[in-house]
Amino acid sequence: MHFALPPRKTSHPPPYARGNISVSATNRRRKQLQILSYAVLGLLTFYLFLKLALHSSSVGDHEDGPSKIEGHQDIVLVTVFDNETMSEDYMKMVKVNRDDYAARHGYQNFYTNTTAYANLVHPSPSSWAMVPALRHALTEHLSSTFFWSLSADAFITNPSLSLETHILEPLESLMLKDVPVVPPDSVIHTFSHLRPSRTHLILSQDADNLAHTSFILRNTAFTPATTDNWAHYFLDAWFDPLYRAYLFQKAENHAFEHLVQWHPTILAKLVLIEQRRFNSYNFASPPVRDQVTGETRTYDSMWQEGDLVVNLKGCRESEKRDCEEEMRHYFSKWEQEVERLDGKKPEHRVGPPKPKQQQVKEVKGKDSMGS
Amino acid sequence: MSRTPSPLPGAGWTAQGPNDGSSTPNGLYTGTNLYSSNEDQWAAAKARSAQVRGYPSIQTKNEGFFQRSRRKISSTLPIFSPYTPLSANWKDPEKLGRSRWYPRGGGTLSKVKTFAGNVLRKFKFLFIILSVVTLTTVIMSQMSVMTRIRGNSHLGGGSKFVIVLGANEGGGVMEWKGPREWAIERDSIKNKQRYADRWGYQLEVTDMSTKKRYAHEWRESWEKVDLVRNAMARYPKAEWYDRFWWLDLTTFIMEPSISLQSHIFNDLANTVYRDINVYNPLNITHPPETKFLDPVARSATGDNQTSSIDIIIPQDCGGFNLGSFFLRRSPFTDRLLDMWWDPVLYEQKHMEWEHKEQDALEHLYSSQPYMRTHFAFIDQRKINSFPPGACAVEPKEGQPVEEGKTVLDPRFHYKEEDRDFLVNMAGCEWGRDCWGEMYMYRELSNKLNRSLWEKFKDSCSETWASVKRKVTWSKKG
Repeated sequence: MHFALPPRKTSHPPPYARGNISVSATNRRRKQLQILSYAVLGLLTFYLFLKLALHSSSVGDHEDGPSKIEGHQDIVLVTVFDNETMSEDYMKMVKVNRDDYAARHGYQNFYTNTTAYANLVHPSPSSWAMVPALRHALTEHLSSTFFWSLSADAFITNPSLSLETHILEPLESLMLKDVPVVPPDSVIHTFSHLRPSRTHLILSQDADNLAHTSFILRNTAFTPATTDNWAHYFLDAWFDPLYRAYLFQKAENHAFEHLVQWHPTILAKLVLIEQRRFNSYNFASPPVRDQVTGETRTYDSMWQEGDLVVNLKGCRESEKRDCEEEMRHYFSKWEQEVERLDGKKPEHRVGPPKPKQQQVKEVKGKDSMGS
Repeated sequence: MSRTPSPLPGAGWTAQGPNDGSSTPNGLYTGTNLYSSNEDQWAAAKARSAQVRGYPSIQTKNEGFFQRSRRKISSTLPIFSPYTPLSANWKDPEKLGRSRWYPRGGGTLSKVKTFAGNVLRKFKFLFIILSVVTLTTVIMSQMSVMTRIRGNSHLGGGSKFVIVLGANEGGGVMEWKGPREWAIERDSIKNKQRYADRWGYQLEVTDMSTKKRYAHEWRESWEKVDLVRNAMARYPKAEWYDRFWWLDLTTFIMEPSISLQSHIFNDLANTVYRDINVYNPLNITHPPETKFLDPVARSATGDNQTSSIDIIIPQDCGGFNLGSFFLRRSPFTDRLLDMWWDPVLYEQKHMEWEHKEQDALEHLYSSQPYMRTHFAFIDQRKINSFPPGACAVEPKEGQPVEEGKTVLDPRFHYKEEDRDFLVNMAGCEWGRDCWGEMYMYRELSNKLNRSLWEKFKDSCSETWASVKRKVTWSKKG
């Protein structure tokens, strides 16, 4: 319906004028209440979401973290010489080799000698000196992240391989999970849920033992906030005087195997990789037939062209072998390799083989060539 | 516009003939319909005049079906009350005020009722507030809200603490426990339970009788380490259980009104000491002399941060004492508990190490520099006071000794005046009376922690007794 004029105001005003006001007031109050309750609900929801998000993220931090070790690392090579058994030239060869390798990849070298730790190690065998030496290296290089402890009887044969590209970055694919931690058949297995970011110790096994002649130890760079360091714990536990007094047959090597098998806080940080990755031997391990299962196990330990390291393990224990002569063989190979890489021979002051040892060397040389 | 002018729309006013009267729903008008023709004329006139006066009959708002037909509907509804106006039974209410009016008739009971109602109405806010207060008090006391508040990790932080109590010592297959052993155990557990309840801590009573479980291994009665580790597993990190307090069974908390936070942890830097040279009964060379160690290990006080303190132990006259010590959940603690029992160490030393874990811990501390960086020591009497029997002191030459009293060393022995926190009756099983000591300290603790009223009562009875005594003495004299 349409009206020409607006309707007149009623002549009967509603009896309670205030009523209308109060109605609008209650309406307003109701509106306010509504808004308030919406706000409260919204806040609650927000809080719950936040809590959930924070919780999941914190859990995630604990579980995952970065899974890879990436980028250039501050690496120190730790070498412990023994003045009493090693000749001057022998040590020079090892030093030239490692200095060249470190310079190539921006690493540092830490050379030390067993005599420096003699009064600590005494009366245990001097091979124990590698443990305090490593502790010493950690102190000298507080901010470095990785320490490669490499036996003085080992030689880097492929200088072009960096530790990062060769071991640290592809570690996820290299690690051996759920294998007996001490060969051949320890009941203790390495963890099956290892992560490179949580790894603090990388090493390999040979046919008989854990090969402690070449391993990489991770360091927690020292800052006032991070004073706790797993590497210190590990080394101090390894060097416990009661372990040294126990007369393990293979001294520090067996003590190390004991530690790994009895102490989960050490096993959890340990990663095993294939031996030839960074600890090839210059001899092959014969296949071993297991007496219980009848299976034949083989260990791929023999050095091949292109391997990172050759280790002359055991050259001092055997009467037939001569460390220096074996080393010279690989040293000349390495010189050729460097010449191929840089276009010139490496400069060094390693003298020619001493005539006194010439006789012995030739006999041995023929032997090794023949075999 | 065709609105019916009748005040009763649709009712029988315009109806023709008396027979239609029955159709009116309201029986009230049945009688009046006899005059309908007269009334009809009047009504028509009224309607006309209404139109002349021009009251607007336009509705400005469409008020909806219900508003429009409200009257119609309400008039068709049946009536149940006999007192509607215009009904046959309608009477004017009796006029009041002719005599004194009393509510509800004026009996004594109703007077009381009225009075109570008035009071309630007048003081209703007071009553509301009072009832709220009472309710909260009752609920608080019933549900031990204080415990929860103290236990909450944000308010009091008590739930971070777990008390691990080694109970049932010597029980199990090896020995029968006598009534005294049972009494010791009952008292000790009750004491810790009360303390834990009061401050919102957790109490884990562990069973030490499992020693036979290790008979096939070598470790006999070395299970403290395992029990602490189990407790840590039972109170996982997600719940924020953080500090673990190991207590031997023969300990008694003398001052339950002191919380661990206020006693030790709020001011950790000043209650503990990192440098063992402060008190060094074992003569351990500290800091280590080896020069190739890292700076933290070579520092006498570690890294000087309270955040690196993971184990807090007291030292008695003979070295570390593990009757009462604190552990914090941390990577270090995992490593320590892992190293603590090692078969190579045990095999070589278990004959020499009389104090078992205690000696093993001392060995770890003295031989592994890393371990030292997370240690802190605490004055023995803060958490582990001894009775005079333990660490007994021989009186020196010429030292006056009072009759019936033993010489006390202020470093180790409980002193009533200082209100020491805890007593550890260490070594009471070797020729001392465990139950006697426990009972003595329990009574002492109760006496020291009486409420004001009890103190007042006791002093009254004491004076009364002394007065009585004097009177009897004087009579005798």
